[in-house]
Amino acid sequence: MGRGEGFVAHKTVTFTQECAIPVERERLWDFLMEVPKVARCVPGIESIEAVDASAYKGSLRVQVGPIRLSLEGTMTVEEQDRAAWRARMRAEANDRRVGGGIRARMSLTLAPGEGGTRLRIETDLAILGRIGEFGQPVIKKKADALLEEFAHNLGSTLRQGG
Amino acid sequence: MNAFEYAAPRTLDEALAVLGEHGDEARVIAGGTALVTMMRQRLLSPGYLVSLREISGLDRIEAANGDVGIGALVTHREVETSPLVQERIPVLADTFRRVASVRIRNMATVGGALAHADPNQDPPVTLIALGARVEIRGAGGRRELPVEEFFHDYYESALEPGEVVTGVVVPRLPAASGAAYVKFLPRTADDYATVAVAATVSLEPDGERCRAARIALGSVGVTPIRALAAEGLLVGQQLGAELLLAAGEAITGAVDPLNDHRGSAAYKKEMAAVMVGRALTQAWDAARASSRTRP
Amino acid sequence: MNRKIRLTVNGRARAVEVPTSRTLLDCLRNDLGLTGSKEGCGVGVCGACTVLLDGKMISSCIALAVSADGHEVTTVEGLAGDERLHPVQQAFIDAGGFQCGICTPGQVVAAKALLDAIPSPTDAEIREWMLGNLCRCTGYYKIIESIRAAAQRSRA
Repeated sequence: MGRGEGFVAHKTVTFTQECAIPVERERLWDFLMEVPKVARCVPGIESIEAVDASAYKGSLRVQVGPIRLSLEGTMTVEEQDRAAWRARMRAEANDRRVGGGIRARMSLTLAPGEGGTRLRIETDLAILGRIGEFGQPVIKKKADALLEEFAHNLGSTLRQGG
Repeated sequence: MNAFEYAAPRTLDEALAVLGEHGDEARVIAGGTALVTMMRQRLLSPGYLVSLREISGLDRIEAANGDVGIGALVTHREVETSPLVQERIPVLADTFRRVASVRIRNMATVGGALAHADPNQDPPVTLIALGARVEIRGAGGRRELPVEEFFHDYYESALEPGEVVTGVVVPRLPAASGAAYVKFLPRTADDYATVAVAATVSLEPDGERCRAARIALGSVGVTPIRALAAEGLLVGQQLGAELLLAAGEAITGAVDPLNDHRGSAAYKKEMAAVMVGRALTQAWDAARASSRTRP
Repeated sequence: MNRKIRLTVNGRARAVEVPTSRTLLDCLRNDLGLTGSKEGCGVGVCGACTVLLDGKMISSCIALAVSADGHEVTTVEGLAGDERLHPVQQAFIDAGGFQCGICTPGQVVAAKALLDAIPSPTDAEIREWMLGNLCRCTGYYKIIESIRAAAQRSRA
């Protein structure tokens, strides 16, 4: 509860989201590698801009009741292994006003599934500073909901030929 | 804290008008314990605060047709020490007494507690078990809602923009009823429960079998919840170890607690079942005692 | 936004202009020069900022100064009479109810409020009332003894 601006790391939360996307693996992979297109499927995304070939900066809005977080940061694609159908990303974002941020490592794997592809997203999420103090469990629930909506949006976009 | 405009109107209509004028930017402040703390941490930055403190008429505790009406500006401490509440609904006085410290209870209001919608708070749990209703006013008029329908998500209530809680109505419990609030608080790092349970039990004229029961839990999810499945198991039954076990199992299936510093989700699930057993036993015993004192 | 507020502090009428975002604690300390009340935690939990608002104890660090407009505030500075310390203050000195002193103004104000509400409190009542005033030095025993002594003295 102190008033300093230093970030204190809180526990890392790990969660896994799996969803069925109704397109075949190759098409899903190609789509996922186009980060700005994928970003548009993330609920609350406000902006996304390429910095270089594998790094992007952007901002994301997350709401918990009346509390609005505006997370600004960067996302980097660390690994793209088409042969193994696996990609890894790293994201760092801060909310300047509240004083806190998130550090996330995500690992995406694509497996053949009923009607298309099973997309599995494993996330290690560290919540730092003020945000962590007040709402680590809440943020975890929000992140789960966010990923679920993301998967749903992904499916719709691809079904519409995006 | 951010800079903000501040108004302290003298009537509810004025307050509603100001709220309507400023929409999203305005927030209501009553006792301010939750709001100011969150503003100091910059979790909230409203541009306009509308204080309800100078509005008269919302700070009464009154009996009407057997129900007890508690105005939104009544403080926690006033509920705790009210002779009317202590006599008619002692479990509610007990519950408000469990909140934080006397200082906080002197400032925090009943309406503010409901509007804050933190699932770890004490009063909503007991209010749900008592079958209480929230009274709401907005520019469009008044409406009422059972407390169990008032909470939508973490920090999210059924209040529409521009609406305020004006009070809470607690119906009279039927004859041969007992109630209990159990707050499981193994740590003192903060004051919110690891798990909390409120139960009301009403008995048949035989003074042994359950005619109706209500069970509510706090700190077991993103809102306080009413455990309908567990309640259903109790009707027509006598209190016994097996019944409590069955109720506990139903509870375990009904709750979805969050992992936090007060306990893991698994631990809270287990403790929810245990505390439901304790709350039911206390409420049942109180109901038996109450049925014996009646002719 | 600044507001002019009028409040009675320790029996004296005071008028001061404050930003709406100023806490009552900051107003007392910085605008009114009453530095007895302390900021410990800043979230209303520790009790170092305890003052009485219309006779009731509150956490002044989470109260807005503007909310005290038209009301009465009592701080630790307002407890002593012209010639003598308040019985609670004297009892804390005599019984050794403090070490570093940082929590003491809050403890003393809270104890005065307790004895105003319950002149002869039991130990259980003292503990329940005072549980919101944290102390890192004393272990609380001497604080409780001081309050017991003050209650006895007031009865005498």
